[in-house]
Amino acid sequence: MTGRYPGTVMWQILICAIVLAIWQWGYDVHAVFPALVPDLFDPYFISKPSEIWSGFLLLGCFKTSLGAWNGWSNGDFGRCMVKFDNNLWFATWVTLKNTFFGFISGVSSGFVLGLILGRSDRLSAICQPFITAVNSIPRIALAPIIVLAFGIGDSSKIVTSWIVVVFLVFYNTFAGARSVDEAFVNAARLLGASEWKITRSVVIPSTMAWVFASLTPAISFALIGVIVGEFIGAEHGIGRLIIESEARGEASGMMVAVIILMVVGVVLSALI
Amino acid sequence: MTPILTEKYNRELGTVTDGAGNPGQIRVDVRALNKSFLLGSRVIEAVKDVSFTIAEGEFVALLGPSGSGKSTVLNMIATLLKPTSGTILIDGEPVVHQKARREVGYVFQRDTLFPWRTVAENIGYGLELSGVSKAERAERVATCIQQAGLSGFADAYPSSLSGGMRQRAALMRTLVVEPEILLMDEPFGALDTHTKLDMHDVLLKIWEREKQTVLFVTHDLSEALTLADRIILFSARPGRIKESFEINLPRPRDAVTLRETPRYAELFSHVWHSLGEEFIKGRTP
Repeated sequence: MTGRYPGTVMWQILICAIVLAIWQWGYDVHAVFPALVPDLFDPYFISKPSEIWSGFLLLGCFKTSLGAWNGWSNGDFGRCMVKFDNNLWFATWVTLKNTFFGFISGVSSGFVLGLILGRSDRLSAICQPFITAVNSIPRIALAPIIVLAFGIGDSSKIVTSWIVVVFLVFYNTFAGARSVDEAFVNAARLLGASEWKITRSVVIPSTMAWVFASLTPAISFALIGVIVGEFIGAEHGIGRLIIESEARGEASGMMVAVIILMVVGVVLSALI
Repeated sequence: MTPILTEKYNRELGTVTDGAGNPGQIRVDVRALNKSFLLGSRVIEAVKDVSFTIAEGEFVALLGPSGSGKSTVLNMIATLLKPTSGTILIDGEPVVHQKARREVGYVFQRDTLFPWRTVAENIGYGLELSGVSKAERAERVATCIQQAGLSGFADAYPSSLSGGMRQRAALMRTLVVEPEILLMDEPFGALDTHTKLDMHDVLLKIWEREKQTVLFVTHDLSEALTLADRIILFSARPGRIKESFEINLPRPRDAVTLRETPRYAELFSHVWHSLGEEFIKGRTP
């Protein structure tokens, strides 16, 4: 990691420390020199690391709202998990699960559609205006309609996630299938390949690079879709956690959720 | 219709006689072929009234300046292009657009090896398509790899091979399914002189053993003389057959030493004169 530039990790740690320090104590300076620290640094808006840590312990069922530790062996932790049904861990699980289903359904349907339209001049000519029209709708704008139609359960989140992912993957696959080198197709055809064999052994392998390129953004898009769906209406999930904290005016709760999302995003992108 | 061909050709019998008067089965029969393209609003005549036949086991070169429509003719025979008018018969049966024939093999101008398959997987592709068992496939591919001098590169991907090696692998991908008729579209055009000579020897060795019926498109006269039994010379656009030459150089031929023989020099200057006229005509003023 540090191979090329010695001290990289040291610099990274230093930057983190500085940012955290300003976050934690920056606003204390405001009382003395108001001009030096913008009002936006008010912990009411952005919380502060120590409060976020407390918020994490509370939302994660590690501590009670009175500040006492929930014991693991005496069952307090378990009771908290049951009583506080949108605790951090269950919320993360629900969001992750819906992201996964949104991602899988979006990628597979986008891939199949892109392949079919990419290889059929006729179909793509017919569908072109519709695709352009639907694509120019900001997908997020559909989230309230989807929640209305599918309810506040998991399915509305999966559909929101799907609709965001499917176009991304569709367009990439479509572009990939369009740019398949015709010489490869001809070579396969002259060796006796049927149209189906050409699709399987030439079109799909040469399109894969395009599809893979769309997977990393697709996973972030899937997560965005789920969170927005949860904002509109949900019983569980990290998006729901953010909305609840916002309603209570608790910046720390929102920050805990955002940081968890960041970790989830990094881990998921790394998996792809 | 070109008189040189018709005098030896008996369509009713479907046979031709070679230089020595031996009858041979007609494999490829091209009749009054025309092809025009639309370039914007202009109609470009690429091929005009081209007729010829190729007999079983004959090696024919289509020679001409670039843009003379020789590749277009080849691609129409290969069913990649649809003729504007005219007929193409292979073994007496008309070809159908985009319907490949098992007995016809095609070698492209630039190698079209699939970059996502190894050399062995590329060569085995045609066998895979025709459902040859895995064991037999491995055996036939191994023989081809050895023949092409690609031993040790079976599991390499095309991107790590030199141009000559790639074209050898591409040639083997076509030959492994044992086509009786070979269509070759300037297959060695992109190679340097030395690699080209190597490829000529590889091809000559294979052809002298298997005696496929070959139609070889090239703009390189030395290449045509080295390989072919007959050269069909195309004129500058619109492409039509200008002349036909019997190349009665002795076989087996050696690509390198053949060029030192007086007969080669004689044929070269003979054909060159006619080809040169077309080069000059084809020049844009």
